[in-house]
Amino acid sequence: MTTMMERSASAPGHSAKRKPLIERLNIVTALALGTVSAVVVWQLALKFMPDNADTAFFFNREDKISLLSLIAWFIGFMVGIGALIGPFRWLLGKDLNHDENMFYAGKDQGIKRYFRYTTDHKVVGIQYLVVTIIIFFVGGVLAMLIRTNLGHAQGGWIQPQTYNAIVGWHGIIMIVATIIMITGPFGNFVMPIMIGARDMAFPRLNALSFWLIVAAIPPVFISFFTGGITTGWSAYNPLASQAGLGMNGYIAFICIFALSTMVAGANITTTVIRMRAKGMTWNRTPIFIYGVVASVALALPAFPVFFLSQIMSGLDRAFATSFYNTTGGGSGWLYENLFWIMGHPEVYVILIPAVAALMEMAPVFTRAPLFSFNIAVMGIGGICGLSILVWAHHMYISGWAPLLSAPFMITTELISIPTGMLFLVLIGTIWRGNLWMTMPLMSIFALLWNFMIGGITGIYLSDVPADAFLHGSMYVTAHFHYTLMGAGLTGALASLVFWFPKMTGRMFDKKLSWVAFWLVQIGFNVAFMGMFLVGLAGQPRRVESYAAMFSRGNLITTIGAYTIMAGMLVLLHGVIISWRSGIKAPMNPWQSKTLEWTVPNPVPLENFDVLPIVTGDPYHYGKAQS
Amino acid sequence: MTDIQTPQSAKWWKKTDVKRVFLLWIILTAVIGYVGSEVQARSMGAPASEVMASVISLIRIFTWAAAPVAALVAALAITALMEKRHYGDNPPPDALHQVHTSPRVNGLWMAASTVLCLFALIVGLIVLQKDSASLLDAKAMNVNVTGQQWVWNFDYVESNGVRSADLYLPVNKPVVFHVSSKDVKHSFWVVQMGIKIDANPGYVTETAVTPNKIGVFDVRCAELCGLLHAYMQTKVHVVSQADYETWLKSTAVTQGAIS
Repeated sequence: MTTMMERSASAPGHSAKRKPLIERLNIVTALALGTVSAVVVWQLALKFMPDNADTAFFFNREDKISLLSLIAWFIGFMVGIGALIGPFRWLLGKDLNHDENMFYAGKDQGIKRYFRYTTDHKVVGIQYLVVTIIIFFVGGVLAMLIRTNLGHAQGGWIQPQTYNAIVGWHGIIMIVATIIMITGPFGNFVMPIMIGARDMAFPRLNALSFWLIVAAIPPVFISFFTGGITTGWSAYNPLASQAGLGMNGYIAFICIFALSTMVAGANITTTVIRMRAKGMTWNRTPIFIYGVVASVALALPAFPVFFLSQIMSGLDRAFATSFYNTTGGGSGWLYENLFWIMGHPEVYVILIPAVAALMEMAPVFTRAPLFSFNIAVMGIGGICGLSILVWAHHMYISGWAPLLSAPFMITTELISIPTGMLFLVLIGTIWRGNLWMTMPLMSIFALLWNFMIGGITGIYLSDVPADAFLHGSMYVTAHFHYTLMGAGLTGALASLVFWFPKMTGRMFDKKLSWVAFWLVQIGFNVAFMGMFLVGLAGQPRRVESYAAMFSRGNLITTIGAYTIMAGMLVLLHGVIISWRSGIKAPMNPWQSKTLEWTVPNPVPLENFDVLPIVTGDPYHYGKAQS
Repeated sequence: MTDIQTPQSAKWWKKTDVKRVFLLWIILTAVIGYVGSEVQARSMGAPASEVMASVISLIRIFTWAAAPVAALVAALAITALMEKRHYGDNPPPDALHQVHTSPRVNGLWMAASTVLCLFALIVGLIVLQKDSASLLDAKAMNVNVTGQQWVWNFDYVESNGVRSADLYLPVNKPVVFHVSSKDVKHSFWVVQMGIKIDANPGYVTETAVTPNKIGVFDVRCAELCGLLHAYMQTKVHVVSQADYETWLKSTAVTQGAIS
């Protein structure tokens, strides 16, 4: 059945010497088969689905049809990309042979391997990088639309419906982009080399996790044109059950993305636990690896809950169940709980690898040992542990459980202790180092600044009486941009410049990296300082117009946002020209001591001829004391 | 790389460093604490209730408590940045120390952050306790607040049948709000009084406040509730007891036919 479908979609039919199926599937067949299945199911459902508009909610039938079409798209796409070939062949008892596995790994395929179900972790890393950049670009354009609309009071030139859809769309795709921005490109490309492995533990799952993300993106794009995600990225019910068909795109997107995260989480965790080089004990494992594992391991319990919450949301919409519908015995509070049980660990899923990446760079660019490795590990572990116990601080004022406010306030504020440890490690490493003035080094200072502001405002927000005033205001928006963007994205951009030579074989243009850095950091601080002020003055979040008293703060924010955009465009320009015609990078341009810099450029398939044996930690910089 | 021993500067701390960091720390603490707390407090405007006044003082206290931490990190970072910079495409020589850890610094850091964390917790819990106690005030008047897309309605429980779209409250009288929603989730925010509680369909949530200032203040919806969320706002008129009675009577008369 599977192969039949693949054949019908991809084979022109007249070719005499047919290439084997495995070689004919790529992104084109995937898009084609996905689209065809979606359209076919959509038309069939339109024709044969009974019209029950009299007996159920208004959108019921349309919801069923659109959800079915999205599921069909998903299955069609995954079949079309070749995700099922492996399992299918195994079912037939004809498992893939060596040549086929080599083909899967992208051997001798040049550029084509980036458009296929390729299992080589380096290909997957590059694929993730490009997709992350594209998502950031779209999300950035949306952010600029939001800021332009809010440039002056009452000047909303975007209709409220469209505005809400833009806010929701910006929110959810930026969240996804920040979740994958480090563990995707660098976790996949760099991590296996860094631990001295030839590939991931499950290379096919690696390809699966990437192509699931690609499969997830079209539903969220289509949703914009079918009513949009008008609920903000949190998609609270019952507002979400009231929203248009665009909500189904959100549901499909989240479910597929959650699958991807679970697959990647299992894969990366297993790889790091089982496949570190000989001699790489936990004490000799680079701190970046801890960050990546902490991030994906934290996603492992979090994202199934997200998945489930959206399945229930979809059932409420399509089958009029009442998980979240109060009149039917459900509760919107159930959704809020499920959402934030995912949502709070999720912000640390974003943050931890960014901080860990900068910790990895700190010794390299200060030529000094990493200060207190053990404290760094403890800090990461402490954040992970506490972060699953803090979700209800998003619900202090929901009225759900006033008596739980105090306990959740305690767990939330306790997080400041392990977070402080991460600060200590960075400061201790920089202290009395020989600072090598590069964009990644300055990013450490930027992170200290931004994350300090994000962290302190987080303590205000964790305090219940203060939150009763600040919750739902622009203050919250500014706060989480300081943590996710000011800290998270700063770490990701530094990682890009740092690992660019290994990933592309070329150095990132130095001048452009500096220009981009300063534009982004200055613009960022201008933008979100302004946002703090309007939040304190009482401007709610997610509004498309505001009282005249907020004009000045919003104008400041908009100016800052345009500066960020300029910086990000410079950076994008830098990526493109450096990748195409940058200076050829030596094997180890930063003179770093981690393993990924011991392999040549471009990194050969399977990375190492002879697997390395590790005899010490990678941070033995500095001259010995007498 | 060969290890050339440089006994003279192998120390991690120098006396001049300590002095410079200390000085910077004091200055920055003062600047961050003052600017941070003043700018934030001014943005929040004049409070119209005890609750809001305590929110503002909480923000002040937290900012002053956080200032030394931020200032210390900033002082260390600035000093480090001022000391040894190296430009160029090749890495600088190795740093002149090999300090991998320092139990004393770690211990001190953790002790300090634990103390600050406990301080924030205790201050917060005290204020929280005070706010929750006001819900039990027996002399309080009661107002039922109903949110619906995209308006607020207020029913005055003690004055049967009186309903308004603008909220009227007598000054210095405790009031308990019983908040609910007809459709989706809203959030009832009386901005200058510093209170907020979600309006959930099917449930009644409660919050309380005692307005202590005559004037007109803002009610805004703080939870995205659909198309016209941005416009779901109204005014609170805090008036003297006498004016309130007059308003009640006139409203009761005009609404007589309806209720």
